[in-house]
Amino acid sequence: MTPLLEVTNLSIGFANPEPITAVDDVSFRIDRSEVIALVGESGCGKTLTGLAIPGLLPSEARTSAGSRVVLDGNDLVGMPEAARRRIRGARIAMVFQDPQASLNPVMRVGDQVIEAIRAHGPVPRAEARTRAAALLEEVGIADAAARLDAWPHELSGGMRQRVMIAIALAGEPDLLIADEPTTALDVTIQAQILELLDRLRRARGLAVLLITHDLGIVASRADRVLVMYAGRIIESAPTAELFRVPRHPYTRGLLAAVPRVDAPESRLEAIAGSVPQPGRWPPGCRFHPRCPVAIARCGTEAPSMEPAEGPHHTACWVATGAGS
Amino acid sequence: MMASARAGLGCAAAIAALALLGPPLAGDPLAQPDPLGSSLLAPSGAHWFGTDQFSRDVFARLAHGARTSLAIAAIAMAVAGVLGIAFGLLAGSGRGLVAATMSRVVDLALALPRVVVLLVLVAAIGALPPAGLGAVLGLTGWPAIARLVRGEALALQHAGYVTAARALGATPGRVLVREILPGTLPPALIALTLGVADVLLLEAGLSFLGIGVRPPTPTWGSMILEARPHLGQAPWLLLAPGIALVIATAAATLLGDALRHRIAGDRA
Repeated sequence: MTPLLEVTNLSIGFANPEPITAVDDVSFRIDRSEVIALVGESGCGKTLTGLAIPGLLPSEARTSAGSRVVLDGNDLVGMPEAARRRIRGARIAMVFQDPQASLNPVMRVGDQVIEAIRAHGPVPRAEARTRAAALLEEVGIADAAARLDAWPHELSGGMRQRVMIAIALAGEPDLLIADEPTTALDVTIQAQILELLDRLRRARGLAVLLITHDLGIVASRADRVLVMYAGRIIESAPTAELFRVPRHPYTRGLLAAVPRVDAPESRLEAIAGSVPQPGRWPPGCRFHPRCPVAIARCGTEAPSMEPAEGPHHTACWVATGAGS
Repeated sequence: MMASARAGLGCAAAIAALALLGPPLAGDPLAQPDPLGSSLLAPSGAHWFGTDQFSRDVFARLAHGARTSLAIAAIAMAVAGVLGIAFGLLAGSGRGLVAATMSRVVDLALALPRVVVLLVLVAAIGALPPAGLGAVLGLTGWPAIARLVRGEALALQHAGYVTAARALGATPGRVLVREILPGTLPPALIALTLGVADVLLLEAGLSFLGIGVRPPTPTWGSMILEARPHLGQAPWLLLAPGIALVIATAAATLLGDALRHRIAGDRA
């Protein structure tokens, strides 16, 4: 089956003040109604990767030649901006971290949903309003018809994020890119929003790219996990598999740093050192200065993604047994 | 409501009452019933604010002058508002050479002293009807509004809801009109309200210099000009338009200030 979206050799850099690479040769695929988690620390390039897919990179960012983002056989990178704009919202929608900032403060929420509906086709206003109420109901807003007339500041953070998701759904997209959708929310609300995304995936066949720094979020909701470190994907595996046998020492370190309720006695591990900034990446494997199992080859030669077992891939000389 | 807002509203109400109710009460501002016998009369029951050197009723001229001055201010603010908001929005939202050029044009326009530009313009065109003077004042007032709106528009480019709108396929024009424009209106409105005070004083200044509205149409500035030779003999000629000007300017300034506090308070 052809994937819904296939990203190949995506590299993103900035020219000023000196040329740096922020995302380096990233490849992955998303199938229909699949939830993929892209996990990594701040500055690893996960947000840029998410923005690059619908062509929303800041103007000073450059994708390098050879980067491809293929949606149903069409390459979005080489596409004219006008054509890409028609894909945004209609095929690929995005939800951002801060629902407080993502709604226009001077427009009623109903009007914002209605605008989104009417932006994707000629719908009479009355019908758009009915559909807006239905969308708000679908994302779990009680008393949806009355909420259409509310102002954004009258809603809680969780409600606002639900409205943002409703707006994102207005164009009936196939892929939803959610960049840290729950980071600004309370823990209980986080769970509700994730549950909502899961329900939408099942009801609408919506594929979700969930960008997060929080492995705990990933555990229950994603089908597959991509782990990013310093601009590269370093491990890719089905979620259960990743949690059972993490291969990359960085992933192992991340998992050890997640508090567990079922092991109350253990100390939380921290990974020594800190994430190198783009432009200051070490040669070879970018994790090797912090890696507890690094061998000589790691400092000179960068490992590429190799199969570790079945669908489980990792970029590590030691884990794939190529170091010996 | 703040005290300054109350005071501003009070001043505005007084000027509005003068402009609306004054003319029908006072009669013809141009009538010269008895140029020889009843010129430069002191205020009395028949002539509330006295008469001028041509025996015209000062109250009638003041009331009609209020209409003229306020109409000029309204036209000036409409012209400055439309031009300034449109120009600032495009300069702050566009990219590349066009936006950069527009921004430099605003800087250049701001670098020219407004009074000098006005003097040159009016000297070149000649005496103007009130609407023309309003338009000229607006044409010299828009760069300040444009710079303000440009700054707001630049800041809003990175607002979450603008990015969100783009992410959902909004066209650049739609983003500009629906997402960015509404956010720039509150500061523009404050600046335009404060700008009314500038325009009232500029109009009076130009008219005082004899290059504003063509006589005998009364404006507050031309009344002050005509009062000057008779200052020792008939000070009411100067006091009436002078006090009216102070009250109107205070109204605009106080209301603009109150708006700013209100809006800044909302943002905090």
